[in-house]
Amino acid sequence: MIELFDVTKRFGDETAVDGITLRIEKGELCVLVGTSGCGKSTTLRMVNRLIEHDGGEIHLDGQPVRSFDEVTLRRRIGYVIQSTGLFPHWTVARNIGLVPRLLKWPRARVRERVEELMRLLGLPVAEFADKYPRQLSGGQAQRVGVARALAADPDILLMDEPFGALDPITRETLQHELRELQARLHKTIVFVTHDMDEALSLADRLVVMHQGRIVQQGGPIELLHDPANAFVESLLGGMDRGLKEAALIKVGERMLPLGPRLLASERIAYGASLSQALSVMLWHQVDRLTVVDEEDIPIGELSLRRLLGARAS
Amino acid sequence: MKSTALDARRITPLARARRWLTPLAWLALLLLSAGMGQLEWLFRLIEPDVRAVVYRRSGFFALLGQHILVVGVASLLAVVLGVGAAIAVTRPAGRDFLPLVSQLASIGQTFPPVAVLALAVPVLGFGTLPIIVALLLYGLLPIVRNTLAGIGSIPAEVHEAARGMGMTAGQVLRQVELPLAAPVILAGIRTSVTINIATAALGATVGASNLGDPIITGIVNGNTAYIVQGAVLIGLLALAVDSGFERLLRRG
Repeated sequence: MIELFDVTKRFGDETAVDGITLRIEKGELCVLVGTSGCGKSTTLRMVNRLIEHDGGEIHLDGQPVRSFDEVTLRRRIGYVIQSTGLFPHWTVARNIGLVPRLLKWPRARVRERVEELMRLLGLPVAEFADKYPRQLSGGQAQRVGVARALAADPDILLMDEPFGALDPITRETLQHELRELQARLHKTIVFVTHDMDEALSLADRLVVMHQGRIVQQGGPIELLHDPANAFVESLLGGMDRGLKEAALIKVGERMLPLGPRLLASERIAYGASLSQALSVMLWHQVDRLTVVDEEDIPIGELSLRRLLGARAS
Repeated sequence: MKSTALDARRITPLARARRWLTPLAWLALLLLSAGMGQLEWLFRLIEPDVRAVVYRRSGFFALLGQHILVVGVASLLAVVLGVGAAIAVTRPAGRDFLPLVSQLASIGQTFPPVAVLALAVPVLGFGTLPIIVALLLYGLLPIVRNTLAGIGSIPAEVHEAARGMGMTAGQVLRQVELPLAAPVILAGIRTSVTINIATAALGATVGASNLGDPIITGIVNGNTAYIVQGAVLIGLLALAVDSGFERLLRRG
C-alpha cells in the first residue's frame, strides 16, 4: 500500500507537484494519466526517492519512505522506464539478475529466478539468456526491463511510460501481457502514461493529473460516465467516449444464450470487446453476431440492441 | 552479425595467440634491435669516419629499461591522477570543479615539455624526477578528456535505471560507468603513453639516462649512427605499445 499525504515538489520557482493526496491499495493497478509536465512522472519518482519530495509525506505500508535507506528502499521496489535502461554491456540474463545479485542471493538461486522470469515473460532461455540488449527488438527489450523489475519479487512496481516507445501492435501485446501478469501476481502497480487508451485498458483506478494536481480519480467506467470537467472529458476523447467505454466491456457480458433462431453468419469471440463487435457489425452490415468460445464453438448471440443496451443498463 | 557472440566464445588458444601476433612481432623486433651492438658493420656504412659507431656508454637494454620505467611511472601517475580527477568531478559533490579540471588538463598540454623541464630542473634537480613531472603533465590531458567523454557518453536512462534498481554510487561507478567508459578511457591512455614514449627522450637533456641518450649524444657529436640507434628503438617501443593497446581496444 502506498499513501501520499499532501505531497509537494518544487523545481526552483515551478511547482511540479502541488499538494497531492493519494492512496494506492495493495494489489491495485493505479494509472497516473495526464499531459506531459503534469507531474505524473515526478510523483512516481518520489515514491522510490529518485526525487525527494519537499512537503507532505509518502508512506509505504504505513512507514514514511524517508525512514528507509534509499538504496534498500529501491531494491524493494520494481522500476521500469520507457527507454528500458538495460545495461548495454550485460547479457539479458545478467540484466535480469541485477537486483537479486545486489541483494546477495546465492548464485544458483539467482539463475533459477532469472530463468523463471524469462519463461514468465515469454523469452525462451536458450535463445535470449546470452543476448545483449542491442540484439533485442523494442518489445523484447521492454520484456527484459519488466523481468528485471520483478526479479527480487517486489510488492510494488513503478512503471514510467514503459510502453511509450513501442509500436502500437507491440504496445497492445505488452499491455495484454501486463494484465495477465497482474492477474497472477497481484502487485501494487503505479503506472504512468499519457495515453488514455492505455490507461483505460490497464487501470483498476485512474488518477487524472493536471498542472501538478489531481483533477479526478476513479475506475475507467466511472470516469467515462462522469468526467469532472472539460479537461478530463477532452482527455477521454470527447465524442469517442462511447467507443472507449465499449472497448472496456467484453462481449461475454452482453451476449444472450443461443436462441431458436438460425446462427448469424458472422462470429465474434467471447472475450472480444463491444467496440470490436460493433466494428464487425458495421463492416458486414449485420445487426446480429454469433458469439463463440476459444475453440470457435458457438455459445451465444449478440444483437445490436443488446450491444446498445450496455448504455441503458 | 548474429554469429559474433558465438564466435567470441569459440576462440581457440591458438587463435587467441594469433590476435596478439602484431604487438608480439613488434616486441620481438624491439628486443632484437636492442642487441644491435652486433651490427657495427651496418652503422659503419652510415658513419665511415668516426671512431665509435655504436653507442656504448651504456647498454641498449639498460637504456630501454630506463625508458620504459620513466614512461611507465609517469603514465601510471597520469592514469591515477587523470582518471581519479575525472571521476571526482563527475560525482554530484565534485561537479562544480568540472570546468576547472578540464581547463587545467588543457593547460598542461599547452606547456611544451621542454619548458616544463627547464622550470622543473631548478626545483627538482637533474635526473629522472623532472622528466617524470614533465611527462605526467603532458600526458594528463588525453586521459582526463577521454575519461570525461567516456563517462559523459553513458545514456541518461542507464544511469536512471542503475539508481532506480538500488545500486549504490560505488556500484554504479564500478559496474556500470567504468566498464562502459573503458574503451574511451583506454584510447586516451594509449594516446598519452604513445606520445610520452617519444617525449621521454628529452629526459636525456636533464641527465635522465634513457633511449634519448644516444640521440642527444649523436646530435652533440654529429654522429648520425647514434641518432638512428636511439630513434629506431624509441620508434619500435612506441609501435609495440601502441599495437598492444589497439589489441586491447578491439577486444572490448
